[in-house]
Amino acid sequence: MEEKRHINIQYDNELREVKDSLIYLGALTEKAIEGGINALLNRDTEMARQVISNDNLIDRLDVEIEEKCIRLLALRQPAAKDLRFIATAIKINGHLERIGDMAVNIAEKAIILNNEPKLKPYIDLPRMAEVARGMIKESLDALVNEDVALADKVRKDDEIIDNLNEQIFRELLTFMMEDQHTIHRALIISQISKLLERVSDHAESIADMVIYMVTGKSVRHTYPADSREN
Amino acid sequence: MRSRLFYKIFATYLVIMILTLGITGVLLSSGIRKEEAGRTKDEILSLARIMSMMSEAEISRKVSSLAGTSRTRITLIDRSGTVIADSAANPKNMENHLNRVEIQEALIKGEGAAIHFSRTLGVDMLYVALPLRDGAEIKGYLRLARPLLAVDAVIKKLVESIYHTIFIIIVFSLLIAFIFSWRLMSPIRKIADSTRRVRRGEIPGTLLMNSRDEIGQLAQDINYMVMELQEKIRLAKEGEGKLEAAFAGMTEGVIILDREDRIETVNRSMDAILCNRYGPILNKTPLDAFRNVALHDALKRFKKERAPVLQEITMEGAPSLILDVNISTVTDMTGGKDKTIMVFHDVTRLKRLETIRTDFVANVTHEIRTPLTAIIGFAETLQQGAFDNPETARRFLRTIRENAERLNRLVDDLLTLSGLELGEAKLHLEGIRIEDALDQVLAVVEARAAEKGLTIRKEIAGELPLIRADLDRLAQILINILDNAIKFTPAGGTIAISTSPGEEDCLTVRISDTGVGIPKGELPRLGERFYRADKTRSREPGGTGLGLSIVKHLMMAHGGRVIIDSTLGHGTTVSLYFPVFRESK
Repeated sequence: MEEKRHINIQYDNELREVKDSLIYLGALTEKAIEGGINALLNRDTEMARQVISNDNLIDRLDVEIEEKCIRLLALRQPAAKDLRFIATAIKINGHLERIGDMAVNIAEKAIILNNEPKLKPYIDLPRMAEVARGMIKESLDALVNEDVALADKVRKDDEIIDNLNEQIFRELLTFMMEDQHTIHRALIISQISKLLERVSDHAESIADMVIYMVTGKSVRHTYPADSREN
Repeated sequence: MRSRLFYKIFATYLVIMILTLGITGVLLSSGIRKEEAGRTKDEILSLARIMSMMSEAEISRKVSSLAGTSRTRITLIDRSGTVIADSAANPKNMENHLNRVEIQEALIKGEGAAIHFSRTLGVDMLYVALPLRDGAEIKGYLRLARPLLAVDAVIKKLVESIYHTIFIIIVFSLLIAFIFSWRLMSPIRKIADSTRRVRRGEIPGTLLMNSRDEIGQLAQDINYMVMELQEKIRLAKEGEGKLEAAFAGMTEGVIILDREDRIETVNRSMDAILCNRYGPILNKTPLDAFRNVALHDALKRFKKERAPVLQEITMEGAPSLILDVNISTVTDMTGGKDKTIMVFHDVTRLKRLETIRTDFVANVTHEIRTPLTAIIGFAETLQQGAFDNPETARRFLRTIRENAERLNRLVDDLLTLSGLELGEAKLHLEGIRIEDALDQVLAVVEARAAEKGLTIRKEIAGELPLIRADLDRLAQILINILDNAIKFTPAGGTIAISTSPGEEDCLTVRISDTGVGIPKGELPRLGERFYRADKTRSREPGGTGLGLSIVKHLMMAHGGRVIIDSTLGHGTTVSLYFPVFRESK
């Protein structure tokens, strides 16, 4: 009995460790996205470099979490919800790592833009970054608190991002049509906007996985109700 | 508990009583038997003695009548043991009696007695035998026997009465056990009740016990114990109260983590610092609650090094917080295991002031150096020969003069500002019609606005009260604001000026433009000297970067205030609140 209890405590600790590591990774990626966007907004090339160099921390944590999960699967043979959690954790881990890579891409593009004169004051891009960052945070909140309602909200927020992305693209188009010298910069900004849109897609996938983990129902590739009907 | 003790006492009493009674009964019955047997023996022995005086033949003849009168069985046995006559059975069927105990005894001792079971009659019989002598020679034996029926009857009665007594004793034992257990239990129950109440945290009264026995002593001890316990609890509570007060009263935010590294306690200052931006944080790990990488890293470092860690962290949000966190251990007095305590010091304001100061120094040097570089550069060029070309020389001299003027303006502004900050600026306050002031100012700026293709709209709402202001300073304020509006509004835009009487004896002047706007996050820093919302924008020629700062301070000197509101990309609204002029003042 004592022995069994002991093992359970250890097992619980291991599960908690995975959860904590995921939150930590989430916080890191959130910070990376913020850093990338701030590097762009404040024309801070130093910060962009820092985001790029910090990415190997994210990569290392990614490998670490995956190893932890696989070890748990092999040694503890979890069942039911724990199993779903670990399977979810492995996938979420991958998504977060990809978000980290996108932060690096944004930072790289910020460096290029910082070497050129400013095209226009950024209005929608910071808003987009803010929403995307919120989505990462909320999707992880949903994971930790097993909050299906919050996960649903994240899924719906994706629409805001899509709209902003389109809006930015239309605006850039007018710049490009007016003055062909702006094309290079406008394209890079458009790419950054697209990167943020993909970040939000990853956050949405995390939310999907959370819903799967809690309810056991897969909602992937279905759209939240009362959105995207048209 | 009560019933068990009751049964114990009951069983003990019962066993003792029954054992006593049983032993008495057994002893008594054997005593009675012996007594009765002795008496019967003496009686029939004397009968036998009388009969033995008769001749053998006579006895054998009158055996039945003798038996009848003496209520005994009479047996006549000859020397060899053969039964000659018997009052109860046919002597021919009877075996040889020489080996019987009583006969042998009679042969040896002269008389014999024995009790044994008579198969002939089926009862315990007392046998007495005497030898019949002819001189010294034994001719035969006379044996008399009587059943011990009377003895048995007595004993039976005795046993019966013992049974009755046992029944009565059971009833009495029950009663006694009940009384004893109740008497024993009632103080114990009182004590138990009292200790249970102590355990529940209530305060029981003193236990009153009259008895001086062990139970009374126990009650006394418990009284002392409860008293001491209460004193200890009081001391602990007092200590806790002091700690709680210190904990709540300190200005630093404190978070205590339990052994599982979950947030266990948060003090009031911490709540105030966090301003509820993270929702409920209790029972979460700091990482989970704050999602702050720097804090988590600091905590990890602390766990690894086991030495206090001091770290500056930034908590994102609007506005973001800069906190100094000090992580160390507290020893839990009860458990003995260490907990982690994190003390947060809000240095946001300090950091901001520090930034303002360093920014100011950097900016002021920059602002001074730019015109100086130009002056030095152009002067050098003139020295190196440009002086000879009158056209160029004139242009250069004009530039030098412009820059010197700019430097002069900068110094003037700085002096104004420091004068305002030190409260040395003397304001000549009088009642002023805001319309007059606006007209005067618009005359100055209108040309510049028209040049940029901007429309200035003025909406004055009817009759307005006079405001209390210094006319020159008021003009300075308005020019500054309008200058900014013109500067940051693209061609074709509109600047609207409206006035309205505000609440509480103040008058509001609102100046809105359709310019580029200011990001929300920058609004609080606008009043800072040399602060630029858009760092990438190069300084417009002529601006000293002190305009808004001066406006802010002037408004404060007037007893009014400035509120700037802006939407990025849509424009900025500056609201100036002036106090209304009163004749009496």
